[in-house]
Amino acid sequence: MTDELLASDEASSTGSFAAEQTHDVLAFIIADEAYSFPLESIREILKHKPITPVPRAPQGVLGILSVRGTVTTIVDLRAMLRVHAQPATRHSRVLLVDQGDEIIGVLVDRVLQVVRLAPDEVEGTAMVSGDLSDYVAGIGRPRSGRGREAVDLLILLDPTAILRRSHGA
Amino acid sequence: MADPHEEFLAEVQEIIEALSRDLLLLDQAQKDGNQQPDLVNEVFRGVHTLKGIAGMFGYQRLGALAHSLEDLLDDLRLGRVQLSQEVLDVLFEGVEGFQRLVGEGETPKMDLDAFAEAIEGVSASDSEPLDGREYDLEDAVLSVLTEYEEHRLRTNAAAGLGLFRLRVKFGLSSIDSDLESLKSRSADKAEIITYLPSADAAGDDSIELDVLLASSLGTGDLVSLFEVDASALRAVPFRAPPPPAPGPVVPVPVPAPVKTRDTMPPVAPEPSLVQQPEGISLRGVANSVRVDIRKLDHLMNVVGELAIVRASVTRLTERLRNEEETRRLASDLHRVGRTFERHLEELQTGILGVRMVPLGQLFDRLARIVRQFAREHDKEVHFSVTGSETEIDKLIVEELSDPMMHLIRNAIDHGIESPKVRELAGKDPIGTLALNAYQKGNHVVIEVDDDGAGMNERRLLETAGRKGLIAADSDSDMTREAILDLIFLPGFSTRSSITDVSGRGVGMDVVKTNINRLGGVIDVQSEYGFGTKFVITLPVTLAIINALILEVDGRPYAMPLASIQEAIVLDPSLLRTVEGREVITLRGQTLPLCRLAELFGSSRPRPAREYVVVCSAGARRLGFVVDALEGQRDIVIKALGPTLRDVRGFAGATDLGEQRVALVLDAPGLLEEVLRPAELPRLGATP
Amino acid sequence: MERLRVLVVEDSGAMRAFVRAALEEEMNAEVVEASSGLAALARIPREEVGLVLVDVNMPDLNGLELVAFLRKQPAHESTPVILMSTESSERDRQRGLDLGANAFLSKPFGIQELCDVVRRTLADG
Repeated sequence: MTDELLASDEASSTGSFAAEQTHDVLAFIIADEAYSFPLESIREILKHKPITPVPRAPQGVLGILSVRGTVTTIVDLRAMLRVHAQPATRHSRVLLVDQGDEIIGVLVDRVLQVVRLAPDEVEGTAMVSGDLSDYVAGIGRPRSGRGREAVDLLILLDPTAILRRSHGA
Repeated sequence: MADPHEEFLAEVQEIIEALSRDLLLLDQAQKDGNQQPDLVNEVFRGVHTLKGIAGMFGYQRLGALAHSLEDLLDDLRLGRVQLSQEVLDVLFEGVEGFQRLVGEGETPKMDLDAFAEAIEGVSASDSEPLDGREYDLEDAVLSVLTEYEEHRLRTNAAAGLGLFRLRVKFGLSSIDSDLESLKSRSADKAEIITYLPSADAAGDDSIELDVLLASSLGTGDLVSLFEVDASALRAVPFRAPPPPAPGPVVPVPVPAPVKTRDTMPPVAPEPSLVQQPEGISLRGVANSVRVDIRKLDHLMNVVGELAIVRASVTRLTERLRNEEETRRLASDLHRVGRTFERHLEELQTGILGVRMVPLGQLFDRLARIVRQFAREHDKEVHFSVTGSETEIDKLIVEELSDPMMHLIRNAIDHGIESPKVRELAGKDPIGTLALNAYQKGNHVVIEVDDDGAGMNERRLLETAGRKGLIAADSDSDMTREAILDLIFLPGFSTRSSITDVSGRGVGMDVVKTNINRLGGVIDVQSEYGFGTKFVITLPVTLAIINALILEVDGRPYAMPLASIQEAIVLDPSLLRTVEGREVITLRGQTLPLCRLAELFGSSRPRPAREYVVVCSAGARRLGFVVDALEGQRDIVIKALGPTLRDVRGFAGATDLGEQRVALVLDAPGLLEEVLRPAELPRLGATP
Repeated sequence: MERLRVLVVEDSGAMRAFVRAALEEEMNAEVVEASSGLAALARIPREEVGLVLVDVNMPDLNGLELVAFLRKQPAHESTPVILMSTESSERDRQRGLDLGANAFLSKPFGIQELCDVVRRTLADG
């Protein structure tokens, strides 16, 4: 593992982005907004499969999937992001996100691309309002012209915060 | 190759278990007035090994404790200290300390200094000098003896026992079993002092040794005991006249290796001593292998995946069968599939078998607790165990340790009365605590049975009322079983003063929760004045279970067959409502119902045809109303992730194949949730 | 240089694992194990080893007996032998040396101490 990855590992676990380094993130769409997780937290991207709902599960938990014999919990960020639920489409994907003590599946509408953000392309969370600031580690503003699907604003999510949220609910 | 540290931890555990076993035997022998030098030496060797390896692996405190015990044991085996109950107390406490030090990862919670004083207290030398009799052994033999072996020779000589050299021949491939056989033949008839190899001992396929043994038997008896030719046994005479009293051995410096090729007596070829050992268990430790249980879990997962593959093959076979031109192929494939299935089952059974361990491992540990606890509480307890050989999943045994320990402590603390009280009640002053285990179908039953004071219904009700666990006037309509069940409610404890035992914050509700978590149930029977019996029923294994697949609200669920009594079609005309709960009468008994769809928050209209799956946990029954029954199959239970672990009602999930995942219902948990706590007094009263 | 082959005779599996790990990693030695004196006895005449490590206190054949036996084998008259035991058995230590052991290691010992004694013993032999 390179120093850079180690450093950003630390950054994501404390929920804030340190300046002076680049960040590789995986960008995806939920309800027409662009979000991202740190690339090193992504274990796998799965095509959408039927999810078994778990009655009485915490809010935001869609259910479970069997990933090669391991039962994996799948969460929908819509509830946390306060957007309305939508049925899955053929573009829907499940991101397996490593949150330290558990690998959780996160359902997203569409996966965009890996974006490398320079230090000056990341802003703190000051701009983010109330509720969201719990899971948002920062805002990415990639300069245009890179990648096939240009994104001009990315919300950088903190994977460990999402786990806390599904526990607390 | 195993990780040395894991190897270390496993060995420490083995040593602790062996020590416990041996100390209990010594305890019994001491009470019966028997000497057991072999056992004392075994214990010494265990502690000695522990000391050595603890130091190597950085467990300094463990090493220090072992060191102080080793010195005491050395005095014991060399006869400088006599075995007494006080000495045994210290030894038992030491073993307890080992367990704690290794379990707590060296967190200094044990006061080693205080323990050192305890050892000091019993170490006062009180040995009697031995008279000077000695056996006439040549120097070549004497020079290879350890201090302990010399001591055993002196002790046996002083006792006037005969010393013999027995020539034996062990097969190279059967050393362990030959040795075992030799030891079991000598058992309590002869003490093996040591083994002396001859210079050319090792042949192509066997080795020859002289076994030095002390015995009160004569040559003739020994010849027939070991079934050897008379020429294989030689008596070693006493040395006469007695030499000066044995002092410390003065080392003779010998710079070069000693060559004593000619010091062994000439050997006539002898028939092999142990050619066909009969009727003795020859399974030695050398034949076993330690396996990380995670590896077995992984193998079990693979078997689960294979079962899913097998199901897919069956479906493909069905499709081939439906086509005219592939029908023959389909029947061939079907046959191959059957064979595959048979081997798969064998593999599964095999892996399950490896996970099984005898309950005796746990019972040995508990016996130690019983002894220590009885002494602390001035109770006399006879501890009896049956069914130690009953096998159960290793994971279950590990989780059982705490609840069992609590039950046993309860039985001694609250159950068995002091000798005086017992005598006044006309009982044997020595109480009996019995652990009985046996297999019953796919279950293992463990009973903890004491002949103590039993439980007083009136006092149980008073306590429950005072603590607000039941309505003040509910006692009149509660059955005796329901009253006894009160002890499992959180917050219930009959003692107002907190004893050392219950002070640990573990109540019977925790015991029950732990047992339930293992898919087991616990029941209590008690008769006031005559004793209490807890009956724990557990699944044999956690890894794979037989389950009924059923459907609720369009989703598949798995209900462990172990919990199911029967499944029936729900006859709507039998439905009644009693105090707000739906019930049916099944074979004259009222059965409360629980609609799973509604419990799980579904608001769908009920289907026209429904089924009732009747489940039981201990003495209680509940009918789960479900939409459909799909059939029965073996499933591999997978744990839910940490995020979902606290969701009530599920024991895990299982992959049914074809992208279907079913939640496994936790029947005891659901019964608990649905029937408790508000419903209990009323249900108890239902006729 | 030829790879050193060491026979470790010791009834504690943890102890064997420790010695094996130390000798393999620090000295690139090849380690063969025997879990009892008798098991060692059976293979010694056949084993070509450059060094033998023997525990004194073993359940059947003790380490002293094994040293005595070893020295009677023509092939092992001068094979270096290191006895392992605890500091408490000073007498057994002296006997071991008398019988022809080359060195003595007091348990517990560390990796460094083990390797030092092994190197010194090999150099002396």
